[in-house]
Amino acid sequence: MHIIVPIKQVPQSSAVKMDPVTGTMIRSGSAATLNPLDLYALETALCLSERSAGSVTALTMGPPSAAQILKEALSMGASRAILLTDRLFGGSDTYATSYALSKAIEHIGSFDLIITGERATDGDTAQVGPGIAAWLDVALVTYVSAINTIVDRTMEVERLTEEGYQAVRLTLPALISVVKEIAIPRLPTLRGKKRAMNTPIEEWDARTIGADIGKIGLKGSPTRVVKIESPKVARTAEVHIASDEDSMKGAVDRLIDIIEEVYHG
Amino acid sequence: MTPYTPITAAIIEELITICSASNVLTERDRIEGYSHDETSKEQYSVMPDVVVTPTSTEQVAQIMRLADRHTIPVTPRGAGSGLSGGAIPLFGGIVISLEKMNRIIEIDEANLTVTAEAGIVTNELNEHLKDTGLFFAGYPMSLESCFLGGNIAENAGGGKAIKYGVTSRYVLGMTVVTPQGQIVHLGGKVTKDVSSYDLKQLYIGSEGTLGIICEATIKLIGIPKVASTLLVPFQSAQQAIAVVPLLMKQGIIPVSIEFMDRLSFEISCSYLNETLPLSGVGAMLLLEVDGSDAAQVEADLVAVGELCEEMGAMEVYIAEDANNRERIWAVRRAIAEAIKVYSPVQSLEDVVVPITSIPQVLPFLKELSDRYGLQIPCYGHAGDGNLHATIIKDPEWTMEKWLEIEPKILRDLYAFIVGKLGGKISGEHGIGLKRREFVKELTPDAEYELLKTLKRAFDPKNIMNPGKILI
Repeated sequence: MHIIVPIKQVPQSSAVKMDPVTGTMIRSGSAATLNPLDLYALETALCLSERSAGSVTALTMGPPSAAQILKEALSMGASRAILLTDRLFGGSDTYATSYALSKAIEHIGSFDLIITGERATDGDTAQVGPGIAAWLDVALVTYVSAINTIVDRTMEVERLTEEGYQAVRLTLPALISVVKEIAIPRLPTLRGKKRAMNTPIEEWDARTIGADIGKIGLKGSPTRVVKIESPKVARTAEVHIASDEDSMKGAVDRLIDIIEEVYHG
Repeated sequence: MTPYTPITAAIIEELITICSASNVLTERDRIEGYSHDETSKEQYSVMPDVVVTPTSTEQVAQIMRLADRHTIPVTPRGAGSGLSGGAIPLFGGIVISLEKMNRIIEIDEANLTVTAEAGIVTNELNEHLKDTGLFFAGYPMSLESCFLGGNIAENAGGGKAIKYGVTSRYVLGMTVVTPQGQIVHLGGKVTKDVSSYDLKQLYIGSEGTLGIICEATIKLIGIPKVASTLLVPFQSAQQAIAVVPLLMKQGIIPVSIEFMDRLSFEISCSYLNETLPLSGVGAMLLLEVDGSDAAQVEADLVAVGELCEEMGAMEVYIAEDANNRERIWAVRRAIAEAIKVYSPVQSLEDVVVPITSIPQVLPFLKELSDRYGLQIPCYGHAGDGNLHATIIKDPEWTMEKWLEIEPKILRDLYAFIVGKLGGKISGEHGIGLKRREFVKELTPDAEYELLKTLKRAFDPKNIMNPGKILI
């Protein structure tokens, strides 16, 4: 079984700073890490491939520094790592990104399953995985919490929904996005790291994957960010220190006033 | 009968005059929190008569002058995260909590120093410094709660001491209020100073018995750009510990070599709901390497990992990114808290031995555990020879039985550590209330008399955190 896991480099959550003027994330200079939710996709893929003597290919699109997260995927046990990097990809939205990744997957060739994380912790859109499935025209199941059976080309999975769980049967090849519940990610090992040090990371650009230049980068991205606003905290707080009888009465009266105001508008 | 004057309404009035009514607490439910620290509350807890939260060094000095005039015992308090009962007001009286003195006074990037008040949370200090690329490398495990002043008063160690040393390495200067209420400034921004007796070093680790540290000037160093963590399971604790002296000879100075026996690791994992592979594991080492050159750190990581493999490691897990590193460190940091939840009555020990003697400590702990029929999970800073063996009260035992047996176990343990191995009874948690009897027993008379003479010279009325360290 050949499984492809698209992963993403994200800013470390503790290091994220917002630009107060544009309201966007300042990515440059902040420490980067593998999207924590992608670890569950990698773990799921590694478990499946261990069971079926298969292989796992990790794929990412990003600047050259994104090689770091591919090394981590290799240390965990992935057998192949591909970095899609080209200035032409810069500024891609989820539409252009999923297009580029789908072209890279076509270039990889045959696969049985694509597994993605639920979403990336920076953009939070959860659109790229489904986008890839659409471009490749394969079955898609999101929010998978368990893989129950795989018999021949048929897979039965459980999907987490707001109401509970949904049992879904799908035919491979397919793309699934997984939630945290599905597995506990392993830690990378020294053995894995040494293997990773000896495994070259394949670098591909737009030409390698035969991407239509009009569909990638800022030009290929239909999304336009018109305005970004941070919600203002409208509520105000009053603090009444009630250390003796007198001040306690005042504070309680004020509290009653506030409750009445809220009730009667 | 104590030699101390009881707190009267008139004294409360004077305290209010000094630091205003909102900084003087007397209501029982508000001062209860100041009656204990992180030692077992069931065993060590004394209510203060009044808690004051001054907002300046001058106010602290005025309170001390008042206490000196009336002979009132004063107990200084940081975050209350101490592990030896140092902040417990044994004779009641006044607790001075430094919690409102948490300002940064000056960041001097050119001289690589920061001057701050004693009540700042150590972690917040480093958060403030982050943008300068500098940090205070004193690193107690309770970094999210403990105060700078407490770090200094206890000379806190922690998980990075092998490479970065303990708190005392970084204290360049301090402002102290003496038991008589005088404000003295010791040291400064200089890195060398033999201009007199080194009073500053004397105050470091004095546990509030010689005066109150109100401000400190701390030496800063550059934040290492890269750090990697290893988690290494071994089949036996002996195997794991045997790696430590060998590692130290490698020429690589790791930031941390932390030891966790199976029981501590298991309790912490279950507390955190963490699942790390445990099958057949007898003990774990947590190691960290850091530096400014990624390639060098990677080479160190591989070298340390390979040595562990040669020494029989079952696996070498590595964490090179922040998320995985935090996942591993969380387990180590949560042990004390997790054991506390597991059994609130316990004796968290802090013995320290020369590093080559570490392998001898564990079989002895096993022997003690068998002899008394109690569990003794053990973890700690193996690279410093500093182990936190934690003697846990059997839930079936009555408190009376525990109180009878606990000193016996400790006496056996300390006799072995000090007598046989040339170790000490506390590496970083201090003596406080918890170990003072043992200090008296284990310190030669001439030395103990010197300690008492010193204390008398500083505090003739014995009002400054009385009853701590010495009896």
